[in-house]
Amino acid sequence: MTLQPEDFWSFAEWLFRPQAFFESAFLQGVVLVVLAILLGLLVGYVVSAVRYGPSEGFYAVARAVRDFVRFDLPGTSTRRTWALARLAFKEAIRRRVLVVVGMFVIGLLFAGWYLDPRSSDPARLYISFVLTATNYLILLLALFISTFSLPADIKSRTIYTIVTKPVRATEIVLGRMLGFVGVGTLMLVPMGIASYFFVTRGLRHDHEVVDIKDRGDGRFEGKTSYDQFHEHTLSIDQPADAKGEAVGITDMVRGHRHLVRQIEGKYYIGEPTGALRARVPSYGSLIFTDRAGEIKTAGIDVGNEKIRGGHGSAGVARLVGVAQGARRLEHGYMEGGTLGSAIFTFDNVTEERYRDEDGITMEMSLRAYRSIKGDIVSGLNGSITLRNPDNKQIESTPITFVVQEYEIAEEKLPREIEGTDGKETRKLSLFDDLVTDDGRLDVIIKCLDSEQYLGTSVSNVYLRPAETSFAWNLAKSYGSIWLQMVMVIAFGVMFSTFLSGPVAMVATFVCVLLGFAAEQIYDIRYYMDRGESMGGGPVESMVRLLRQDAMTTQLDVDSVANKVIKTVDSIAIYALDAIATSLPNLPKMVSTAEYAASGFDIFGSLLARHSVATLGYVIIAFVISYFFLKTREIAA
Amino acid sequence: MATEPIAVAEVSVGDSAPSPSPSSQVVIETRNLSKVYRDFWGRKKVAALKSLDIEVRKGEIFGLLGPNGSGKSTTIKLILGLLFPTSGRVLVFDKDATETSKNERIGYLPEESYLYKFLTTDETLDFYGRLFDLSGAERKRRVDYLVNLVGLQNARHRQLREYSKGMTRRVGLAQALINDPDLILLDEPTTGLDPIGSREMKDLILNLRDQGKTVLLCSHQLADVQDVCDRVAILHQGELKELGRVSDLLKVQDVTEVHARGLTDAAKDEIAEVIRRHGGTVESIDNPTATMEDLFLNIVRESERRPGARRVGTAGDAGDKNSNSGAAN
Repeated sequence: MTLQPEDFWSFAEWLFRPQAFFESAFLQGVVLVVLAILLGLLVGYVVSAVRYGPSEGFYAVARAVRDFVRFDLPGTSTRRTWALARLAFKEAIRRRVLVVVGMFVIGLLFAGWYLDPRSSDPARLYISFVLTATNYLILLLALFISTFSLPADIKSRTIYTIVTKPVRATEIVLGRMLGFVGVGTLMLVPMGIASYFFVTRGLRHDHEVVDIKDRGDGRFEGKTSYDQFHEHTLSIDQPADAKGEAVGITDMVRGHRHLVRQIEGKYYIGEPTGALRARVPSYGSLIFTDRAGEIKTAGIDVGNEKIRGGHGSAGVARLVGVAQGARRLEHGYMEGGTLGSAIFTFDNVTEERYRDEDGITMEMSLRAYRSIKGDIVSGLNGSITLRNPDNKQIESTPITFVVQEYEIAEEKLPREIEGTDGKETRKLSLFDDLVTDDGRLDVIIKCLDSEQYLGTSVSNVYLRPAETSFAWNLAKSYGSIWLQMVMVIAFGVMFSTFLSGPVAMVATFVCVLLGFAAEQIYDIRYYMDRGESMGGGPVESMVRLLRQDAMTTQLDVDSVANKVIKTVDSIAIYALDAIATSLPNLPKMVSTAEYAASGFDIFGSLLARHSVATLGYVIIAFVISYFFLKTREIAA
Repeated sequence: MATEPIAVAEVSVGDSAPSPSPSSQVVIETRNLSKVYRDFWGRKKVAALKSLDIEVRKGEIFGLLGPNGSGKSTTIKLILGLLFPTSGRVLVFDKDATETSKNERIGYLPEESYLYKFLTTDETLDFYGRLFDLSGAERKRRVDYLVNLVGLQNARHRQLREYSKGMTRRVGLAQALINDPDLILLDEPTTGLDPIGSREMKDLILNLRDQGKTVLLCSHQLADVQDVCDRVAILHQGELKELGRVSDLLKVQDVTEVHARGLTDAAKDEIAEVIRRHGGTVESIDNPTATMEDLFLNIVRESERRPGARRVGTAGDAGDKNSNSGAAN
């Protein structure tokens, strides 16, 4: 899992972006609300001007706004809203939507057959499977229940008996939303619990010790049986006397290992450990040095690293063209056998936070880029040096390691380490000598093989002060799914206040889809702004398809046609860009599942950001729904 | 109930109707009310209502009468704010019809009972009670009272999808009365009801009027309108054709009707003679016929008193019973 700079933002940073307020979520939210209001007033005025004439139309709009602010919003009653929510809830339940939960559970029972048992990372496979399945199932369900209910009520005229009671439009909208969220929650909880058991049970397995040898020095080494398409080698350290108990451990295979006990000559292999994790990483800041040892902000770009990163959330700034282009970057590389290095500075490194006696746990997943074939038997070599950020003379001797690509390697930074304080070589204390008083520590990573490169990003190397439970992390993933569901329900209810059921469903679906296509739209816009040929907008790419032209050649049509095509395309793309920017970033929310699958604790700030964004969109959808419902002739 | 013995009395003694006389307080007022239905493109489809001016006063039963498509339902929907007028205004309790707060004092029974089929009677009434922000205790009281009033005690825990049309209608009526409204709007109140239900509905309407409530109903069942309404407006093709007191509208000015019991043929001749002497014309001297409704109701009531097969008698027999039950009331 590669994180982008924006993933590290705290909640406040995301909301206000102290250095770049133009890119802040707050500004984006404000602009969105203002635009929604202006657009609403304009559309409202045009419609009522057509209906009642220009001046009377103005009063109609003014009355609607006044009613909303003065009567309907303050007059919204909890009892009525609650009654309507319960009704929506009961309706869904009595239409037997809970059957879906049953279907989900049955699906899980058979899913085991289809999940690749030979996968090298079964935990990721299982977790991604349940989260993805739940996510799309719940969103689909939210789509259906939220868009069909209100139009059905209007069509069957049951709504007549509601709106002829002192029920406000606010209550109808809010009641529906709450009711459906209740239904969704009721379904999500059992699905989450079933998923938890599916994952934990699915990964649980047993081995037997089939072959064990006494190496003579008091160590036993052996092999386990071949179960679940894998086997382990094991070693037991302590010599086992006839009565005592010896404890050993197997090697790490497919993301897990087992504890091995030997009691009275018999071997017992414990449950797999280490497969389901929720690491709480502590990320540092990253700078690079080039081959001459000069400080650089970025590492070497060995390929298309910038383009892969995407555009990120630059908010309004990107839309109006102030912040241009792809902002993100994946890995920066350092050259091996030179002074090139990656320097991570970690904050808040204190003894209270890292209590482990063996030292600080650091994890790395580095990338390797080979310019020559090199030694094909062993991997690339790297080194870790610890350094005091304030007094750069104080540094440890390098700890060497072999790079394990595509895996997370765990290193211990010991509490006592050989090193130099600038004058003499001696044992350095990690917390006293290398860590500054305010808890900062430099970790320098180098590639030792010349003509080879190691790559890293901020998120590839981190200290791990703690772990939380997998169950809690899974719950947080479900929290994220819940937020997406709320978002879809809000949009579904909004569209259903003025569209018929199927149309409202398609409209909501298109909104979700546009959210998922946002990055691609931003990309087209990016190339358009830069004047680069990269396929172009809808018309241009259609022309290219028909003419079988390559994507990156100049469009070979005469200048008038070119102008027309470019103009139409830019209108379409700018409009799409504006729409996609104003829609919720669902893919970002879906991607929280990746945290759980990769075994990382989902940041609280990330969930907080999603929650606030969801709340914002729900409020906008609520206000829009109110006006549509209020100004609608129910019996027409 | 006082209305049991048929319509004869109402016509002959129209001026001393049993209703409390409506006050001058106006509950519903339409001013130059027009409604044009348009299609999606704003093109005019049909003018459903043209410049309607009516006033419904407190404490009266007002009937909207007219053939299908005459604008009755449109008028009711405009009064309820379900539709917006194309021009003109509707005032209900001096408030604009589109204001939600007017609904506090209104009860509405739609043409068909558009209720949630997945709820039981109790749940339905409790739900509508909540919409009036009634407290738990108050809701329970009202629900119990109304379930008894409409006679659904034995079916209160069944989902409405299992109900017959008449039963659904009763629930519909109960939900319209959940807030003890001052103004009740009834759209075709007797459709789907059997003669007994229909009779009970009419009795209930009169009873509501006696409690000082205002009732506006629309119907094309002329007999119903005649039975209960104090005043009627007759609509045709969206236009008001006639408006006034039922008694005035129906009274045939130059015909006199006398009802008497126990006269011999000789006496009848003598009366005819007296009429002729005073320059009048005797059009008919006859025994009155009962309505089919009365006949039916009497048979059913009789059967409830004495279950079992009924001896089929003559028409005169039924007429006798009818007059007896009339006298008993």
